[in-house]
Amino acid sequence: MAAKELVSGGNTVIGPSILISGKLTGDEDLTVRGRVEGELSLNRTLIVESSGVVKANVTVKNAVVSGVVVGNIQASESVELTHEGRMVGDIRAPRVIIVDGASFRGRVDMGELPPGRSLPERSTRPQIRPTMRSLPAPPPRPATPAAKTPAAAGKIPAPAGKGAAPAGKGPAAKPPAPPPPPPGRRSAGMPGIVRTASSAPPPAPLVVAAGSKKTVVVKKKK
Amino acid sequence: MANTVIGSSIVIDGEISGDEDLVIQGTVKGKISLRESLYVEGSGVVEADIETQNVEIAGRVTGNIQATDKVELKADCRVVGDVKAPRILIADGASFKGNVDMDTKER
Repeated sequence: MAAKELVSGGNTVIGPSILISGKLTGDEDLTVRGRVEGELSLNRTLIVESSGVVKANVTVKNAVVSGVVVGNIQASESVELTHEGRMVGDIRAPRVIIVDGASFRGRVDMGELPPGRSLPERSTRPQIRPTMRSLPAPPPRPATPAAKTPAAAGKIPAPAGKGAAPAGKGPAAKPPAPPPPPPGRRSAGMPGIVRTASSAPPPAPLVVAAGSKKTVVVKKKK
Repeated sequence: MANTVIGSSIVIDGEISGDEDLVIQGTVKGKISLRESLYVEGSGVVEADIETQNVEIAGRVTGNIQATDKVELKADCRVVGDVKAPRILIADGASFKGNVDMDTKER
């Protein structure tokens, strides 16, 4: 009797020696020190303590995992894996906190990812390809190097690629020079393309396309 | 003190087993097997077969109850099902429908 009164607080606790298998639903906080298997859905917070084991698909508002969870967790607010927490499964929640020491294997989905970045990486590749297409002439390939090192072109092929840095060699002074010749050559296509080296606007759409592909890849990896 | 409480808004559909006291304020359907005491409080609703050492019922239970020690039906409880235990107490005000078996010869 005394025990009853001590514990009654509207808070549910699954003690360490208890095994629940089946479906558990509720509208209050739940603390698991024992085992729950099956399906678990709450409108409140699930706390899996260090002795707790949950093998279930979990739908909650918040989850704090210090014990073991095998299964997927979908939370409307947050999921936290503490330093003692171990989990295998997928997490879907707008806020996911994984602390140092926690062990986790599975996917994380926080919903909408913030846009942007990954542009710098791509800018180089797409530029080269477009130039190749539109330019029948071979020289355009080394667009950046060629422009800067007409003189040194043969000498420093590789480093030239990283162009900006070796600028001190004097080729740096030449970059402005190249533009004039193209008009004379008439292969006007070249100047426009060469210019891409500076990551000018034209290549932008291509970059975007490449970028979108890559982001998809990233998601898969996760 | 190990203690398990199924809160009043909790619904469990399945099986509960364990080695410690269990307090039910919510709803449990399925099966309960414990080696300790089960308390079904006033707000508790159990639609399950129960196997424990002790049971105290103040809420509603539908199902067969088998206890190795004692079953206590308190005032205001509502129980439908067969009860089997060496000691069975039915308090004034309890509502009960089912068979009672206090057969102690088995043990």
